[in-house]
Amino acid sequence: MTAAPAGQPAADEPRAEQPKPQRAEQRRAVVQPSGADLPPQAVAQRARRLLRWYPSSWRARYGDEFTELLIADLQERPRCWRRTADVARSGLLARLAGAGLTSYPLEPAAAARAGLATMACAAAAFLAVGTAMNSQLAIGFQWSDPGNHDVTLALALMSGALVIFAVLALLAAVPVAWTAICAAVRGNGRQFGRPALLIAAGALILVVGGRHFGNGWPGTGGHWWAAHGLVPSGVAAFGWATTMSITSYWAHPAMLAAFPLAERVWMVLSPAAAACLITGATQLLRRTELSPRVSRYETWLAGVAAASMAAFLGGALCWVTAGGAGPQRLFHVGTIDVAGLAVLAITLVAGWQAAHRARAAGRAALAVRPR
Amino acid sequence: MTRSDQAADDTGGLGTLGRSSGPASLILSSLADGAKHGYALTKDIESFAGVRLAPGTLYEALSRLEAHGLIESIESEDRRRPYRLTAAGATALNVYLQGQRHVADVGLHRLASSWGLA
Repeated sequence: MTAAPAGQPAADEPRAEQPKPQRAEQRRAVVQPSGADLPPQAVAQRARRLLRWYPSSWRARYGDEFTELLIADLQERPRCWRRTADVARSGLLARLAGAGLTSYPLEPAAAARAGLATMACAAAAFLAVGTAMNSQLAIGFQWSDPGNHDVTLALALMSGALVIFAVLALLAAVPVAWTAICAAVRGNGRQFGRPALLIAAGALILVVGGRHFGNGWPGTGGHWWAAHGLVPSGVAAFGWATTMSITSYWAHPAMLAAFPLAERVWMVLSPAAAACLITGATQLLRRTELSPRVSRYETWLAGVAAASMAAFLGGALCWVTAGGAGPQRLFHVGTIDVAGLAVLAITLVAGWQAAHRARAAGRAALAVRPR
Repeated sequence: MTRSDQAADDTGGLGTLGRSSGPASLILSSLADGAKHGYALTKDIESFAGVRLAPGTLYEALSRLEAHGLIESIESEDRRRPYRLTAAGATALNVYLQGQRHVADVGLHRLASSWGLA
């Protein structure tokens, strides 16, 4: 574009078209009411509608002032798709931050707890799929040696990672539970009632049902060391029973219908119980005011958990790529196992990201803490 | 990372704000002469920078700045809550703008020597 003298249009600007914007403005004024012409109630309603893009915690902190800004903006520019898109984008970011997946901070301590809660969710999903895979291999071992070094290595890696995972879960749960109990003793326990109920109900159903169906399964017969293997048969059967719903039989309804009714009910009930357990644990974590020291300890555990998840994924990858079906196809890799591998990878990335955000938010919480 | 970002990071400043550092510098500059609420910030920034910050972008940057302790809100009877610069915010803005001035000086000097543009 060539430079033009001040106050004059550039050479390549269409001079004859210049009056058009004015006409367009006039037309717009006729067909669209200006913001000032809109009833205040309608403007306020539109502002409140836009505010719904944000999570409730954000609305509690910024809702009033943000609504005032939106009302002023709506009165000035009644129709503006860019504003709607901007609010939607920002609101979704705030919602993702509520899950600890982005760095849109509301309050560093809350962001750290959100990150930890998301890590807990990702770890729980990882654990469910991982246990389903691991128990499949472990039960296969009870029947026969796979005769494949890679499958043996895979089972050792996966089982070792699960043991570390279980220890980490215990180490993480103790201080959170203790903090919640202390708060309850001080009279602030009302908010923990529902999470505690969900955890207790979910855990009870999974343990009782898992024991029942695990013991009844002929593969191990409930004997702890039925044959030979790296994992006790009772543990393998319990893992298999609690994750019975993670199966490719859902894609074959006719075969599924041949299952005993009790097993089919359990395949629906067990994931619901697991969801209760995870929801309760997540709510408890988000509602518990952790001290900076405990928060730092939890984020450190989350980092170690991510490392053990990576080790498990390495083992699972080893089995899937080795692809050894073994005797009687006991170690066969099916489509569901490949899909499971994808779920493991996604939950690992999400969990690692959440743990990273929690660590960053924890550092920010320490920085803004009054000295 | 640019020199100014690095300098700002040293003070826990704008370089840590990622994609919000642009709006953040505008907000801090606007608050440098006194407290303002959201709409006043939008109009002031539009007047001195020619940029209109959309509401979502403005509050995303405000929440980040507040979380980093660079600004703070003032209690108000009004629903429109004003914000003001903190001492850390003033330092971070100073470091950031000094860095920007250095870049501007270098660019203008090179334009003058190579292109004859003053």
